[in-house]
Amino acid sequence: MTNVVSRESFAARIWRKTLDGVGVKVGFAWIGLLVFTAVFSPFLANSMPLLMSKDGVISAPVLKYLSVEDVWVLANFFLALIIYRLRIAVGKRVLLFLLGSALIAVFANLLIKPPALVIYDDFRTPAYTQVDWRIMPPIPYAPTDYLRDMVSKGLEAPFARQGHVHLMGTEENGADVLSRMIHACRIALSIGLIASGIALFIGVIVGGLMGYFSGIVDMLGMRLVEIFEDIPTLFLLLTFVAFFGRSLYMMMVIIGVTGWSGYARFVRTEFLKLRKQDYVQAAVASGLPLTSILFRHMLPNGVAPLLVSVSFGIAGAILAEATLSFLGLGVVDAPSWGAMLDQAVKSSSFNWWMAVFPGGAIFMTVFAYNLIGEAFRDAIDPKLSGKGEGV
Amino acid sequence: MLTYLVRRLLLMIPTLLGISIVVFTVMALSPGGITPQALTSGMEMKPEQRKAIEDYYNKRYGLDKPAPVQYLRWLNNVSPIGFVSDDQGNRGEFSFSKGMDLGTSFQYGRPVSDILAERIPITLLLNLVTIPVTYLIAILVGMKSATNRGGSFDVGMGMSMLALWSIPTMLAGVLLLGFFANVQHFQWFPTAGIGSREAQDMPFLPHWEQAGFVRGFLLDRIWHLVLPVLCLSYGGFAALAKLTRTSILENLDSDYARTARAKGLAENDVLWRHVFRNSLLPLITVSAGLLPSLLAGSLIVENIFSINGMGQLAVEAVKGRDRELVLSITWVSGFLTLIGYLIADFCYTLADPRVTYD
Repeated sequence: MTNVVSRESFAARIWRKTLDGVGVKVGFAWIGLLVFTAVFSPFLANSMPLLMSKDGVISAPVLKYLSVEDVWVLANFFLALIIYRLRIAVGKRVLLFLLGSALIAVFANLLIKPPALVIYDDFRTPAYTQVDWRIMPPIPYAPTDYLRDMVSKGLEAPFARQGHVHLMGTEENGADVLSRMIHACRIALSIGLIASGIALFIGVIVGGLMGYFSGIVDMLGMRLVEIFEDIPTLFLLLTFVAFFGRSLYMMMVIIGVTGWSGYARFVRTEFLKLRKQDYVQAAVASGLPLTSILFRHMLPNGVAPLLVSVSFGIAGAILAEATLSFLGLGVVDAPSWGAMLDQAVKSSSFNWWMAVFPGGAIFMTVFAYNLIGEAFRDAIDPKLSGKGEGV
Repeated sequence: MLTYLVRRLLLMIPTLLGISIVVFTVMALSPGGITPQALTSGMEMKPEQRKAIEDYYNKRYGLDKPAPVQYLRWLNNVSPIGFVSDDQGNRGEFSFSKGMDLGTSFQYGRPVSDILAERIPITLLLNLVTIPVTYLIAILVGMKSATNRGGSFDVGMGMSMLALWSIPTMLAGVLLLGFFANVQHFQWFPTAGIGSREAQDMPFLPHWEQAGFVRGFLLDRIWHLVLPVLCLSYGGFAALAKLTRTSILENLDSDYARTARAKGLAENDVLWRHVFRNSLLPLITVSAGLLPSLLAGSLIVENIFSINGMGQLAVEAVKGRDRELVLSITWVSGFLTLIGYLIADFCYTLADPRVTYD
């Protein structure tokens, strides 16, 4: 062993070690796939042609029917790509992204007016079928396209060829399961990220204050944490959701508000250790404002272990949403994986494809986040670093 | 020890108060809130009937009063000491022995305590069967993978335990129900409930009669419990097995284990009598957190398998905006959780004589 001083930064080292395993690569690959599907879902599964040429005029019906949300998600995706390529500081990147996405939201709301009513049967009339050529999406069924004009019965098993192929079958009303799953990606991903973002925000602030001030603030804060921990989260969630509407955004806030206690505990222990450190004392002595001490000096030093609980937290939030949807308290107007599982139970006969595919998607997503969390933990924990010494 | 116990019990009071305040605030702040109008909106009745019911609700629960007053009123009814109040909701004199009154459920029109007394034993039964199963499997798997560290069993188990842990309870429940309790596939287990009607009249133990084999009450219960318990336990033992493995590994190469081996003890004795006992502590710590997660899990499992326990009651209560029931359920589950923590702390002293609370 030679004494080479590593020039690698702490963050870079953790990142490298995290990516060492096979499992974590699978995890990231799955999340990447989900992000891709979530962003491009209207182009992946839709009833209308992507591009068609009729009487020499080339048109793209998909674009005409894009909703404000679709455009916003798409634009944000490309904005994030561009910002990722720019070489500027992380803080500026985040600010730039937030600013850009707010601007996009405003413009999208002003400029985009999709037709209020979409009649999917129209796309199977000669106006759209008797054309020179057309390109259909890979899955030519929209999630809410119940195939009312088709004569077949609603329910179909995967690959049951009755004039049209459904890779994962259809649900009882005749909508394509795979298409519904693709469109539900967005809910799963956004709920996981935003809900745990909210929980993290509350947890870091409460836990940070508790750890920094200790004493009476700590004691009161701990009681609050205990209160939120002692009500089984699902009971609390149920109460919240049942009494406050069922919109997607409300759900994110609710899952966030009920899930912060773990983060608060974590940050508190971390800050209790840090508050007596010399550099913190120096920061206090030089009269820095409290926010600067807490978030610029202490937080970056206590943030690494948080990554672990965040990735487990995202998995938990996705599960929470799925559970609520499963219990019939979820979002009503859009399909979500949990709601699809619920459909499978409620249907008159057991149709395995209605349960296996959405349930499998929930499982894979939760598993992926758990794998990532596990890899982070192994990379961060000094006791576990180094091959062969791992416990 | 006694002082510690008393202190812990007293510390529960602010937490329980906090729980009820949080839940009450959520309900009071909700759009629409809890008003007699909202409660009777679904029913079809004559205007004067509706008026009478609304008046009754207002009187009985004080629903026309501001929320803080309603809360204090509820608290007064629930706490064992306080002002006596009659059926009309009028306040009498202060008393130390008035007893607890959890109120009457809006939805069922029965005292909440009666409903809970029916439902809690079922959920407890489910959980008390699950916990030993969970621990047994977790300890066996954890021990085996710790002793074969790095071997194929260890690696395979590590991966599959993480995978098991990630399977949503709903998916497992739906698939188990769909495949093993369904005419379309294997109809090995019953679909719903925790006991069949005819088992009520059977003797307790299974036995042979002239007519043939009688499965008895016990076997019937077990038969009904197989799928729900399987569903409840796999997530728990997956997490616990990993923990057991880590904590056994920490002790496996310790000095005392080496000494025990040097004395010539059989490896099994070293493992189970020396290493295992010292590795128990983290397992006990988690057992406290196990109860709340099991309660939450039984909420899903009870809904899938149509078991009339507390979980199903909770869903019914929040869907029906049944204030008294929701408050009592969260309260009771919070209380059970706190008791779980307390029991875990006591088990700590049993497993490790070094720990005392004096």
